[in-house]
Amino acid sequence: MRRLPRLFFLRAIITLAFFAFTAWSSQAQSAAQIPPEWNKALDTLAEKIAATAKPARTFSLDVRNISSLNAGDVTGLRQTLVEDLTGLGFSMTQKLPGEAQLQLTLSESAEDYVWVAEIRHGEAREVVIVSAVRDLVEKAGARKASLTLQRKLVWEQDERILDFALVPDGNAAGASILVVLQPDKIAFYDHRAEAWHLNREIAIPHARPVQRNVGGRIDPQAGTATLVDGVCAGDFQRPETVTCKSVPSAPGADLAMMQGSIVESDAALASTCSGSPLMLSTGSGDWTVRDFIQAYEDKNQREPIAQPIQFPGPILALWPAEDGKTARVVSRNLQTGAYEASIVSVSCGD
Amino acid sequence: MEIGAIIHSLDPAVAAANPEEAGAKGELDALLYDRRSENGDFVGTAGSGPFRLSAWEAGKSAVFAANEDYREGRPFVDSIEIQMGRSAHDRVLDLELNKADFAQIPAELARQAADRGVRVSASRPNELLALVFLTGRGTTENVRVREAIARSINRAAIVNFILQKEGEPAGGLLPQWSSGTAFLFSTEADARGAKEIWAQVSPSPKLVLGYDSADTLEQSVAERIVVDAKEAGISLVSRAISASEKANAHGGSEGPTPHSEAIHADARLVRLRMPSPLPSVSLAAFIDRLGPLAGINGSPLPKSASPEDVYDSERSIINGGSVVPLVWLPQVYGLSARVRDWKQPAAGEGWPLADVWLDSTTDVH
Repeated sequence: MRRLPRLFFLRAIITLAFFAFTAWSSQAQSAAQIPPEWNKALDTLAEKIAATAKPARTFSLDVRNISSLNAGDVTGLRQTLVEDLTGLGFSMTQKLPGEAQLQLTLSESAEDYVWVAEIRHGEAREVVIVSAVRDLVEKAGARKASLTLQRKLVWEQDERILDFALVPDGNAAGASILVVLQPDKIAFYDHRAEAWHLNREIAIPHARPVQRNVGGRIDPQAGTATLVDGVCAGDFQRPETVTCKSVPSAPGADLAMMQGSIVESDAALASTCSGSPLMLSTGSGDWTVRDFIQAYEDKNQREPIAQPIQFPGPILALWPAEDGKTARVVSRNLQTGAYEASIVSVSCGD
Repeated sequence: MEIGAIIHSLDPAVAAANPEEAGAKGELDALLYDRRSENGDFVGTAGSGPFRLSAWEAGKSAVFAANEDYREGRPFVDSIEIQMGRSAHDRVLDLELNKADFAQIPAELARQAADRGVRVSASRPNELLALVFLTGRGTTENVRVREAIARSINRAAIVNFILQKEGEPAGGLLPQWSSGTAFLFSTEADARGAKEIWAQVSPSPKLVLGYDSADTLEQSVAERIVVDAKEAGISLVSRAISASEKANAHGGSEGPTPHSEAIHADARLVRLRMPSPLPSVSLAAFIDRLGPLAGINGSPLPKSASPEDVYDSERSIINGGSVVPLVWLPQVYGLSARVRDWKQPAAGEGWPLADVWLDSTTDVH
């Protein structure tokens, strides 16, 4: 969840010393298990190295880290690469004159990790590069995941979405109504022929211009949609009963919104798999980067219990849904600029 | 509330002749227009963005008022008062004296401004200053000439002394934070190598390095390059390119890329601002801009956005020798003490002045 004031997204760049290869190093260090996505990237890198390094079959290996990877991950990556290369018929040696040298640099770009292998033999230098997903690293604990998070995109539009809800259609048994709250109106959509169609929209009068950081929330059970200076009320299952009016904003409400104090960054869900309640939390980046939702078993967020679910932009709102087992998520797609309404659900097993 | 801002001129003719003015105009347009087209041009009507133009005095001042109906919500500040034609030193002084709440500061003045108590916010380096050998010049057709000059340049000295360490040496066309592969390009000076290569050039030509007459940073860097070249025995002089010469090169149009034949120099300095944090997007934009100047129209665009393809494309241009990256510059902004919620814009983003608010409890005036 994006908190205001917006903090710059700072990443610590950890620079490690060079790891000189020794034959017994794998015994000396305990490597972290690396995610399957990284294994695939290393497999590709090893194949590229093998194709480029021939006819050399032996070389020294130096690894340096200029990315935000931690020491455990670096050790794990190094060991995996050595295993991959050994499997391809190469052997590692200490740095010797005349031998080919392999320099692996663990770097990162604006998007992902970038792993660069430089193969030097005499004056010649060849470079091969692969990229690997970066967002996984913050959730190393999720590797022993027992839950799966799933995202279902419900609705997208160019106009800002503050909140949304799915409610039963009171006029058509078995059907649903999509309620979308915007800064200046609330819209009701019917689901017909595999698509949502606008049924009714109601303007929300404001005593003053809509503020840039306006927030709002729908409570379908109570039949209300509340903004700082406006409220809509009625039976949301019967949109024709809903009316909206302007209300005086509480003193200091604007400032509180600016400082993010009413913006929540997590949602508590009922027990799904283990019997323990579940906490969904967003990432901590600013409004310019992609975001994710991660699941934790406790409020301290010490132990992720699922692979994070990625979003193509910042998450703007995260609320537990009425069933207590899913969450409503409003996000913005940085590529399209559209606001997206999604339901995030949890299922048991990997 | 009011926010006083820099800014120079909104006159398109002035803006076209001065990169700094053009940059400022683009930033202001971003406050007035809601959307850009795919090619980056502003579309729709002025005033559809977070602000509307409410007062205008040509060449002197303007006032942007908050757009009450802006679809993203009304800006926090009521208006932005813009003072035009302020020099960089005047802008720093305005900030120091609390006469302005916001101003863009040249990177080379950032340290000085901070030392004088100005609140400074610097982006990641996203503007490349490069030396470009202009296409069609017989003097620089010889690859050894280009290589000798490139090797002679001491980028570290430019960063440390001219930029006061507010920047980074550049070896590639993309910064390390964006591509992740900039470390593969050397930024080291090699005066001995330059001398040896220059000795192989016969007859050795006399070369002219052009710089923008309105850009004091370019002038300082050009003069430093001349000193480095002379140490390697290379005959190189610097020459200011006037606004009228640039206008002729533009052929009367307002396009950003002049015809290189109209510039009376063998090489010139060029500033390239990243339009996006994404390396493939920025590299494609740079190739588009440099193509007519350096004759690299045939240079391959990255086959894909993969780091390897972007690096291959970048390396092919650097190895061609027509473009010599020099330094990466950050965007530096000075802010008054009462500005709150300032977020440094990412590469390609406009000034987020619609998001800032002013703390009325901090009296600066």
